[in-house]
Amino acid sequence: MIWLSKRRYILGMLLPTLLVYLVYIILPVIVSFYYSFTTYTGIGAAEFVGLKNYVTLWQDSLFWISLKNTFIILVVSIMFLLPGAFLLALLLNLKIKSGNAIKALNFAPSIIAPILVGLIWVFILDPQMGLINVFAKSLGLNQLALQWIGGKTLTPYSIGVVFTWQMIGFLATVFLAGLKMIPRDVYESSSIDGAGKLQQLLSITIPMLNETVKINVVLIITGVFKIFETVLLLTNGGPNHLSEVLVTYMYNVTFTSGEYGYGMSIATVTFLLTMVFSLVYMGLSKKNIEE
Amino acid sequence: MSDLAKISSGPVIKRVKGKQHTLSEGRGGRTVLAYIVTLCILLPLLWMVLLSFKSNSDILNNPFSFPKTISFGNYARALETLNLGLLYKNTFVIAAITIVIEIMITFMSSYALARMVFRSERLKRCVTALLLMGLAIPAFILLFPVYRLTIFFGISNTYASLVIPYIATSISFNTLLFTGFLRGFPKEVEEAAVIDGCGLFTLGRAVVFPIIMPVVATVFIFNVLYIWNEFPFAVTLISNEAMTTLSLGISQFKGRFNIDYGGIIAASILLIIPQLAFFVFFQRFIIEGMTAGAVKG
Repeated sequence: MIWLSKRRYILGMLLPTLLVYLVYIILPVIVSFYYSFTTYTGIGAAEFVGLKNYVTLWQDSLFWISLKNTFIILVVSIMFLLPGAFLLALLLNLKIKSGNAIKALNFAPSIIAPILVGLIWVFILDPQMGLINVFAKSLGLNQLALQWIGGKTLTPYSIGVVFTWQMIGFLATVFLAGLKMIPRDVYESSSIDGAGKLQQLLSITIPMLNETVKINVVLIITGVFKIFETVLLLTNGGPNHLSEVLVTYMYNVTFTSGEYGYGMSIATVTFLLTMVFSLVYMGLSKKNIEE
Repeated sequence: MSDLAKISSGPVIKRVKGKQHTLSEGRGGRTVLAYIVTLCILLPLLWMVLLSFKSNSDILNNPFSFPKTISFGNYARALETLNLGLLYKNTFVIAAITIVIEIMITFMSSYALARMVFRSERLKRCVTALLLMGLAIPAFILLFPVYRLTIFFGISNTYASLVIPYIATSISFNTLLFTGFLRGFPKEVEEAAVIDGCGLFTLGRAVVFPIIMPVVATVFIFNVLYIWNEFPFAVTLISNEAMTTLSLGISQFKGRFNIDYGGIIAASILLIIPQLAFFVFFQRFIIEGMTAGAVKG
């Protein structure tokens, strides 16, 4: 290929992509970071104020509420979504009649527009007319008809359930890809040695899926920190910002209140948190393997 | 001898039979279990379909009853209230422009990175790493700066205001898939073409592009879905009703229909069906694209 690798050819091939990428991805990241050190409100020049926004952030109770809610969704997802997707993958990995159609149906929620997902779940979670409460009331279980959304406490847990519904088929597919990579003879030779199904699951399948688990946990972390549409539709952060997550809070501060500088400090912190969570998790699980 | 054979073969046959029996039994059980699980996952969607055929007072007062007569009233109102044609048109135009341009430019840059000889190997690796970095950058951190750029370039409320960020956010994923595929593909065909006097443009158009077609299909379908579903950029950058995209339109349902729940539900179903049809049709590419992005990224 050396014949065609003239400098101007290479430059010409790379230029359009690099131009768009630098102006619309790299520059914005830098600009966000820069604005987070200013009090920019859209009028006049941005005034550089050093770490002031970050100090405000530290003292902002709404920021902590958003962080706590995001964290609740993360914990719910790790506790239910991860094992759920794994069990679903084990089930789908068995020989099932019309298995491909079943796999596709389970995958379907993850291709529906997130904004539609939010709208659908309004009709499941709504305290007055949602499926859950209507069902509970029709069974006479009025004490189970809780304020799943719009109340003071339960919204983030409900969002975690919605996120689980959205992602389970997708993560199960990633698990399935991992299961397919485990060589068959490992199972065959272990069953000759007298290992039972459960023993095989615990000492072959799960350890050998380590990489896949890691991918899925990182997908969950990055996914949870991006949840936006469902919160917007289910509660729009209300009542009184109690169900806000980091991204919606950032959005409201930036675009509704017009505090651009402060908004960008929330965006920066959220971005860094995602990275830190992912990296720490990957570091920890690497250590586990080495031990 | 024959006695021995009888003794040893008797139980063996029995055991095989027994095993087959439990196997087929277990298979039936697992199929039923899989169907039940799938039904649970689909329950929210089925619930919406059921509600969509009911009047508003039935939705509120007795949601569990089966609709006595199938009424399409909700659907009729949904079509009246929504300008579905406009929403689809805007999304389609944006998707078409975005995807044609992004495939062209990322194909070119990926080819350069995968095949061409740079003077410095290190520079090439740096550029590749830079382009892949975007996989880790979430869209929400770009929203405000991109909003500023849109004003700066004077393209507010135009197709371009969404097309450019959509191209930009697809670059990392496309680069990952294109360079990955090209690296795994032997260069002999291309070398032969060059020796036969093929220029760079013809090489790309007539030799490499056809080879890379399966990946182009994955990239194409994956990006169609992305633009179809994209919301954060749309809600930030578009304020003109004439430019509303599908996701943006859906976000306004609640306000538009006020308390006409039947209308909202019917409208959602009208938008879910095309998505599901698209998914059924291009399943393989969508699942491939999403897992490739996950596994390699």
